[in-house]
Amino acid sequence: MRKAFVIVNGVLLAAFALQFVFAAVGAFTKPAGDGSYTLHSITGMAVIPALSLLTILCAVLARAPGRVVALTVLPLGLVLLQVLIAVLANAFTDASGASTPLGLIVGGLHAVNGIIAVHVVVSVQRAAHELADATGAVPDDARVGESAA
Amino acid sequence: MTTGSLLAVDLVIAVLAAAGWLGGGAAAAVGRRRVALAVGAAALAATLARVITTIALARAGWWFAAEKVVIAAPLSLAAVLVAAPWLLRRPVDIRKAAAGLLFAGYAQTSALLVTVLHGYPVSAGAALLAVAGVAAATTVTWRFLGSRPSRGVSRVAAVVTLAALVAGTGLAAAPGDAPGVPHTHQHPDVPTVGEPTKRFTLTAGTAVVRAGGRDVAAWTFNGQVPGPQLTATVGDILEVTLRNRDIGRGVTLHWHGYDVPNSQDGVPGVTQAAVAPGQEFVYRFRADQAGTYWYHTHSASDLGVRMGLYGVLVVHPSPAAGLDVTVPVHTLAGHSLPAPAQQAAGAGTPVRLRLINTDSTTHRYALAGTPFQVVAIDGADLRGPAPLTDTAVLIPAGGRYDLAFTAPAAPVALFVDGRAVWSTGPVSTPTSGWPVLDPLSYGTPAPMPWSRHDQEFALVLDRGLDLRGLLPRYAHTVNGAADPDIAPQVVRRGEIIKFTIVNRSLVVHPWHLHGHHVLVLSRDGRPATGSPLWMDSFDVRPGEVWEVAFRADNPGVWANHCHNLPHADAGMTLHLMYA
Repeated sequence: MRKAFVIVNGVLLAAFALQFVFAAVGAFTKPAGDGSYTLHSITGMAVIPALSLLTILCAVLARAPGRVVALTVLPLGLVLLQVLIAVLANAFTDASGASTPLGLIVGGLHAVNGIIAVHVVVSVQRAAHELADATGAVPDDARVGESAA
Repeated sequence: MTTGSLLAVDLVIAVLAAAGWLGGGAAAAVGRRRVALAVGAAALAATLARVITTIALARAGWWFAAEKVVIAAPLSLAAVLVAAPWLLRRPVDIRKAAAGLLFAGYAQTSALLVTVLHGYPVSAGAALLAVAGVAAATTVTWRFLGSRPSRGVSRVAAVVTLAALVAGTGLAAAPGDAPGVPHTHQHPDVPTVGEPTKRFTLTAGTAVVRAGGRDVAAWTFNGQVPGPQLTATVGDILEVTLRNRDIGRGVTLHWHGYDVPNSQDGVPGVTQAAVAPGQEFVYRFRADQAGTYWYHTHSASDLGVRMGLYGVLVVHPSPAAGLDVTVPVHTLAGHSLPAPAQQAAGAGTPVRLRLINTDSTTHRYALAGTPFQVVAIDGADLRGPAPLTDTAVLIPAGGRYDLAFTAPAAPVALFVDGRAVWSTGPVSTPTSGWPVLDPLSYGTPAPMPWSRHDQEFALVLDRGLDLRGLLPRYAHTVNGAADPDIAPQVVRRGEIIKFTIVNRSLVVHPWHLHGHHVLVLSRDGRPATGSPLWMDSFDVRPGEVWEVAFRADNPGVWANHCHNLPHADAGMTLHLMYA
């Protein structure tokens, strides 16, 4: 199960990396339109939340320490926040639908939050590796992991 | 503060409150006392601030606050009752406070999710699922923090979680009371309108057209974007033959704003079958409304219209005098249409500019260099329009404004979103700072045609998770449901119908009822004071409440939808049908 935790979180990390690629695809698609960010939206609103849930499940089943489980929950929260930021940024437009400074500031937070989320997933990956490496050395017991952390 | 910004501010505060409680709880769990107390205090402040925004929203209308009062408020109260004592007590070992702070975080988060994913109307299913989520997360937290309370409390928590989960899922999954629209197209009332006096043929097909100086792949009528302008005089009988050469998604013709008999309305699956490649359909109707209209495909309408399947329909009351210019604004593959045009107009020439917005979003139009009148909106003449100078107009998706002026000696220019589109000579007036015309207070009023209404419908526009389809989607909803699960509005011929349209969402929804023009009664509770406004496309902005009325005088099954066509595709379509 600890192996699965490493693998699933690794896939999540890859999805995050792809998500940045899809954001760039959206930004450089010509002509720009509502459809430019389709890949980015699907990945962000379906693939990443699903993988995050799977990661949480794996962490729990792998009897990861509470701190690590909490860390796996964080990306899910940040991704939901990410969707809200996008919605809010689009909400702060002027009457004819053009962007406003406030909307762009909120939109900028979308990038900041994305970077934070990736860092959290990287930390989870490190913790998952440590957990998997520890398997051989100590008995498979969550309490041990917890006191070590 | 407008109700629209209040909705956004409330959402931001709710996010901060949820994040604050969760962050404070996490900090407490790892023993960071100061961080936990500071972040927890901030979360408490945010939670209490929501009392103010919720009351303000409830005052603007129950629709805006319902789930915040019924679901979020009790959850927030529980959060404060559990978490605040820990903040006040300031325990030496902050780890003891972790479960309480996290509980508050779960309560705030699930309340937030109810608003974002479900919205209006309040449902017992959503409330129970929210409670189940909070209880389940709290139970798991106890387990991981090793701070399990007494056996009795744990058992109660487990039972509450399970019961709420089962009941909530059952209620949420139960089939709603929304019978689908009978998607028949048997309206044998094809009117015998007589021998056509004007005949047109429109052939839909893919083609490469020039836009913004580039070759662009488009879907066209007769190889051009926009399609050919159809011009008629009141009393003409139009016959339009629609042929589909190679549009795989099918084509129809919807006469936007033209209140044709139902069988000619061009809504696939409702009034006719979409015209497949190689097939044709003949539309026939009498041109009895003068004014500016447009036609477009209603089959795969978002894609079809965006790709270029639209054109202008102008019906003159009598042979036109002076200069008559149509400006159908469109965005084709990122290029703005029409291309800028310059036209001479001798001083003293009467000019009528017919401004049409065929896009899915609002555009801003500004006429510089002359006073002008807005003589008609959505094809209907206005009463007593006063001359305007240095004033912009906002035209909703699908809407039309007719501007009239007498050409001065100096040049005149029309700007759309700051781009000169039509002019009589070079003009370099900045128009971006101009005030915007409010049509509800423009022109002179007239007595209401009716003093009563027979039926009233509320349409609450929002977003929500729609789980009824094959794949879950974050739909644009009306009264909490998405097409095809929105209950049809059933009316009887001759009734006066009132719509109350409420926008709870954070984006503008240009509302469009087929087959009828609606009379605007009020916006945000303030009655319209200007000329009677008979509209077929009007922007309901975030937080706005529009009251409109119409006489049910055109039997059939009519689409009633948001004309931001991606929104219509994503669920924001319902039907008005005659009993």
